[in-house]
Amino acid sequence: MGYKNRVAVLGAGLTKFMRRAQETGKELCFEAARMALDSAGLELKDMEAVVMSTAPDAFDGVHMKGEYLADGAGGFRRPYMRSYVGGGSGVFSVIHGWYHVASGHFDTCLVVAEEKMSPCMPHPQAAFNAIYDQFTERPLGVNLLWIFALEMNRYMQVHKIPLETISLVSVKNKKNGLDHPCAQAGIPGEYTVKDIMDSEVLVWPVHRLMVSPVTDAAAAVVLVSERVAKRMTDKPVWVEGVGWHLDSSYWTNRDLYYPKYVEYAARMAYRMAVITDPRKEIHLAEVYDPFAYKELHHMEGLLLADKGEAPRLLEKGVTQRDGDLPVCPSGGLMGVGNPIAAAGLMKVAEVFWQLRGEAGARQVSRPVKRGLAQAWGDLMQVGTVVVLGV
Amino acid sequence: MGVTTKPNRLEKIRTWRGSVPVWHQYTLGLAGERFFRELKDRGRLMASRCPRCGAAYLLPKLYCPACFVACEEWVEIKPRGVVDTFTVLHEGLEEEELKEPVVVAFVTFPGVKGGLVHRLGEVGRDGPAVGMEVEMVLRPERRGGLDDILYFRPVGK
Repeated sequence: MGYKNRVAVLGAGLTKFMRRAQETGKELCFEAARMALDSAGLELKDMEAVVMSTAPDAFDGVHMKGEYLADGAGGFRRPYMRSYVGGGSGVFSVIHGWYHVASGHFDTCLVVAEEKMSPCMPHPQAAFNAIYDQFTERPLGVNLLWIFALEMNRYMQVHKIPLETISLVSVKNKKNGLDHPCAQAGIPGEYTVKDIMDSEVLVWPVHRLMVSPVTDAAAAVVLVSERVAKRMTDKPVWVEGVGWHLDSSYWTNRDLYYPKYVEYAARMAYRMAVITDPRKEIHLAEVYDPFAYKELHHMEGLLLADKGEAPRLLEKGVTQRDGDLPVCPSGGLMGVGNPIAAAGLMKVAEVFWQLRGEAGARQVSRPVKRGLAQAWGDLMQVGTVVVLGV
Repeated sequence: MGVTTKPNRLEKIRTWRGSVPVWHQYTLGLAGERFFRELKDRGRLMASRCPRCGAAYLLPKLYCPACFVACEEWVEIKPRGVVDTFTVLHEGLEEEELKEPVVVAFVTFPGVKGGLVHRLGEVGRDGPAVGMEVEMVLRPERRGGLDDILYFRPVGK
């Protein structure tokens, strides 16, 4: 590959996920970043660059919030840059940090992702109304739940997937989330398929317990070059592959039943990681699950299942923590919470902890040497993938 | 036309009005909450101090952005400062002429990193000046916001 440095993840930090944090966004950033530095055994002075990922300014209610958050994220007297691809941002932040270090320009990079969604009133969905076209969808009162509902229904119809099966994703992830110390109060839990099916219908077929919540939180990781990694740790976790890809930003002009952009992002990451059979070579996956069906939809895009096969793997228990391919052992967005950019980086942090065997009660049963984290976002047409390995 | 009213006469062209339909509800944060409670309840200015470099921050910060450690120590700051720079507002946001020009100054405090941007009052005939010593004038009824400080005025007034 044509890059100078191999890149390792050396440390990770995560704040408690909260519905309404008293902390400012800057304070959340500091908490996560400090934790990541402590876990890496490094100080801010050792960081040559800082990357910030955070989603729409309309959430925090601070225009140019990348600049506003900078000093809390360590973006002080050093190169600092924000990246933003909507929901894909958290995983993209690691890709952004990766090319800072891989380029050979920096040996160390602090990557921080933040979202404080609670300031946005009456609800962050109101901000999502304004990501659509002013004279086609917006007059209909559109919000993000709509596009998910249309996509979910299309996916269910094409593959004849019952709602009960999709509910199993909620059941699995909400149970996994019980073991996550950062999980948002009231989000994880022991649920049955019936509980999920009986929850209120928001926009059919999307039920309340098939949607991730609104969350405030921050996450951070420390990326270093091979030279620094070898000096600092006996357990380096390498960034083996990165990929990102976009489809048409107009929702009527892409396949709703299959996320091709995720496939292309995954193929790019697999090519870099020299993975030819992802089902055998990926040992666990933190797949993006803002909605229950998305975990299945994305597993197919990631080539971890054939088209329409992911629901069957779920039914067979393959994606449980003790299964052959654990998916969202963290609890994911459905079980831990969904602070947009920070949620994506939480997934990368989970793969890091799993590969180091430091995931505690969440540690998967099978031995794991390689895992992936994936997110999706922008105008629902971007896929971002990071493959980590030991 | 003023800042919040332009552009006007949009009805003359084929457009329609719209906006991002949100408003916001902010929290002060952990450091801000403590600062404004002290100001409201005790009428005093507090700064947070970095345990590593010793810098005192006003407005207080939960962390030192330079050393990147938590600032757990808090110190009271004497509410007497020096005008670092100032400006005089003659027109409001809507381009309306203000009845009385408003003086806005950046006030610094000895031994403190940062300072407060606030209004100056009772500046007298000589007007404001850089280097002028000023003191804080508090509002008798306070709510826990920057407006709890009425303005800064020259010392000795």
